[in-house]
Amino acid sequence: MEIAINGKAVAVPERLNDVVLLDFLRDFVGLKGTKFGCGIGLCGACTVHVDGIADRSCQLSVADVAGQEVTTIEGLSGAAPDSVLHPVQQAWIDESVPQCGYCQGGQIMTAVALLRDNPDPTEEEIRDEMSGNLCRCGTYPRIHRAIVRAAKGGQDVSRG
Amino acid sequence: MSVAVERKGMNRRAFLIKSGWLAAGVTVLTSCGAARSVLPAMPSFSSPEPEDALAWVQALPGGQIRFFCPRMEMGQGAPLGLSQVVAEELNIRQQEIDCVSPATDQTPPFKMTVGSEGIFDFFMPVSYGAARLREALRGLAAEKAGLAPELVQDGESGFVLPDGTVLSYGDLVPSEPVVLSVSASSRADEALRRYALERKGAYRAIGQRWKHHELEAMVTGKTVYSRDVTLAGMLYGQVRRPPAFGARLQSANGRAAEAMAGVNAVVIDKGRNFVGVVSDNPFVLATAVQAIEVEWEMPEELNQDQIEAVLDVEKYRAQNDFEHELTAAGDIEAGRAQAVHRNTARYDTSLAAHAQMEPRAGVAWVRKDKVEIWCGSQDPFFVQRRVAKAINRNLDDVVVHSHRMGGGFGGRVLCLASEEAAVLSAAAGKPVRVQWDRETEFQSSYFQPIFSHFIDAGVTSDGRISHWEHDFVSSPIMTGPMPKSIAMVVDRVMADEGTARGALSPYQLPDHRVRYSDIRTAVPIGPWRALGAAPNNFAVESMIDELAVAAGMDPVKLRLLNLPPEAVRLAAVLERAAALADWGQTVPEDWGRGIACGVYKGQTAAAVVAEVRVDHKARQLLITSMWCAQDCGLVVNPDQVEAQIMGNLIWGCTMALKERLTVAAGAVQERNFDRYEILTHREAPEMTVALVEPPDAPPVAVGESALGPVAAAIANAVFDATGRRARRLPMSYEGVFSDG
Repeated sequence: MEIAINGKAVAVPERLNDVVLLDFLRDFVGLKGTKFGCGIGLCGACTVHVDGIADRSCQLSVADVAGQEVTTIEGLSGAAPDSVLHPVQQAWIDESVPQCGYCQGGQIMTAVALLRDNPDPTEEEIRDEMSGNLCRCGTYPRIHRAIVRAAKGGQDVSRG
Repeated sequence: MSVAVERKGMNRRAFLIKSGWLAAGVTVLTSCGAARSVLPAMPSFSSPEPEDALAWVQALPGGQIRFFCPRMEMGQGAPLGLSQVVAEELNIRQQEIDCVSPATDQTPPFKMTVGSEGIFDFFMPVSYGAARLREALRGLAAEKAGLAPELVQDGESGFVLPDGTVLSYGDLVPSEPVVLSVSASSRADEALRRYALERKGAYRAIGQRWKHHELEAMVTGKTVYSRDVTLAGMLYGQVRRPPAFGARLQSANGRAAEAMAGVNAVVIDKGRNFVGVVSDNPFVLATAVQAIEVEWEMPEELNQDQIEAVLDVEKYRAQNDFEHELTAAGDIEAGRAQAVHRNTARYDTSLAAHAQMEPRAGVAWVRKDKVEIWCGSQDPFFVQRRVAKAINRNLDDVVVHSHRMGGGFGGRVLCLASEEAAVLSAAAGKPVRVQWDRETEFQSSYFQPIFSHFIDAGVTSDGRISHWEHDFVSSPIMTGPMPKSIAMVVDRVMADEGTARGALSPYQLPDHRVRYSDIRTAVPIGPWRALGAAPNNFAVESMIDELAVAAGMDPVKLRLLNLPPEAVRLAAVLERAAALADWGQTVPEDWGRGIACGVYKGQTAAAVVAEVRVDHKARQLLITSMWCAQDCGLVVNPDQVEAQIMGNLIWGCTMALKERLTVAAGAVQERNFDRYEILTHREAPEMTVALVEPPDAPPVAVGESALGPVAAAIANAVFDATGRRARRLPMSYEGVFSDG
């Protein structure tokens, strides 16, 4: 079995077919940007894209994504080492969103998927879509602003 | 500074060699400063001395300034703010600072990162260390130019000579390692210019919205948290958890686990209450650890109602029995007689968890000559001491490498995962990683204790507080992370000031008494964001609101009337928060607004206005908006301070609406985010934050300073909306509208 991770084909040893995708990414592929938070699909720290759709990698097995394209936070801005940041990542920096930063990879993956489906979301749509990604530091206001900023093409949308 | 600099050899301090100083660079050291004595396995309590800072700031060849930041990063941003202080003293830009989280062999021990002290306690010593380095470099410049140091002027990242020649730090730092020793003379210190103190109103780095140097790494998934540490040849370990607080290992049989493919060893140590497994395959760990047959000796059964019965303020009032009197003055009875409106109420808050997003982890590599630990802890020197004890090694053998924490909030003074990894690594002879899962994080950490308050207070006919009788019970917090034998002794002789934090109201109270008891139960207790400040402020500021309502007074006016004249800074934030929120405007039916305020650790004044909406259809309490004004003195980085305040507001919303742990049969029942919910993006209120910055006020606490008033502001808003008091946290729609 093979899965494509960040544009590269990864051969899956058969004994690992049933391993949780999150564990596989972190401990077999060595991509540590996708985080473990709860293991039950409730916190969103482990969010990746499977064929462009945001999903919880702690709720998938490797076999579940056979033949599909998995994108992690490391692959978001493209494969080249000097590639520019994804506009959502840039917006996250412009708004100084992260505090501890641990949940932010997952937040960004959810936000990117949201903006791909809905390039100009309403406040309500942002709130709805982002509510599966928990942040204990309390960065929600800045996450919200960063998403609006990214939707407006990177413009500062600060309210006063 | 005109003190001559003297070059010293490199063998003065082991940590210099270990910190890369054999490579090159300049550092400044005093001639005293021997390593401080260290108690066995106690948290690091000592406040920083100015001389400590000399080891924190170093000039590297090429002119880069390395800052071994003595505050651990967990999202609060103290390393960024302190970098700005370094830059101010050295006249450098952000990109010229290499801010490093030091390993325990790279600096002398420093205090644990707690209590919102990162800027408050370290601003001065960091400024001192950086200023001393600058003057040492000026001495080198003077020597090089053959001039008196007084003639060498400051320049950008270096100096300018009278003839206009520019000498950058890079020109001055030799490629050979040099230690400049300066005598710790008070005369030299007096002459030392401190730009972090002098340049008020004209700062170059302080006060700027510098962005954290790790932002890009964080948003691209490259930051290495302790969970992300990987060593070549590393094995994977997991420990079998006792099923209840205080359960003792009776017997264990690891044969079934050892027979599993990939399992290297099962480690059973009855004396240490330890059962763990080591595997070279991380994917079999969870199954293997469950395959160990274990029998536990269970302690006496511990349930929620027993804990609540112990921590019941009314029981102690009935016996008139409190351990500590925080304050007392005047005559309560005489005061009570003055009351035209008298109120008595009980307020309770719940057992709570830190629930930081990163469950902790540690990697240990125990070798014959050296033990290395990679972890994220608020007190790496405590981890060092505990690991040394756990595996019976010399303290000097153990080095702890610190990583950015995925949230701390007081919960990461200990890192038991590192100790577990060390025990397993000692047995396996290879590096071992231990990662806690979420269930372990909930069950095996320490918690915020229950607080139970009773207040009897009143208002006179002219709106002044007539009397204030406040009793409460909770558990000791400060001694939580100490070894139990020592903690029990300390409990007996000392009132726990962490439990009492924020319990003294800021108002003028002629006739008052505040008493409390800190009582240990079998539930492990330790620091949680702001310690007692949030539960205690909830009780005090709820009662103040009750008094205002009883007296028919505006709650802002009643507060201002009762504040002492010297509380100008608290009065100013109250007025500012009220103005921000346009306080006094009418709100629609089922909406309400509440205000509360407080002074954190006698330092930081904050006032919070909350607006709530009651959704009867969904049977929910919604927090729609919050406004906060805070005076934390000099603001080193407004961007970071605003972020911390927003974090405090959201934390306070979670505390007010959601957080409650319960114990059954000695175990925590809420072991994941399904039953222990934290505020979601959808539930987060709109927020407006204002910083009040009086001139000449030194920087004070920020990281948990705005949390205190949040829950009371929400409860007061709920009363405004519903006419019903929420006196027990977490509050809920059902609770508010029940008749209980």
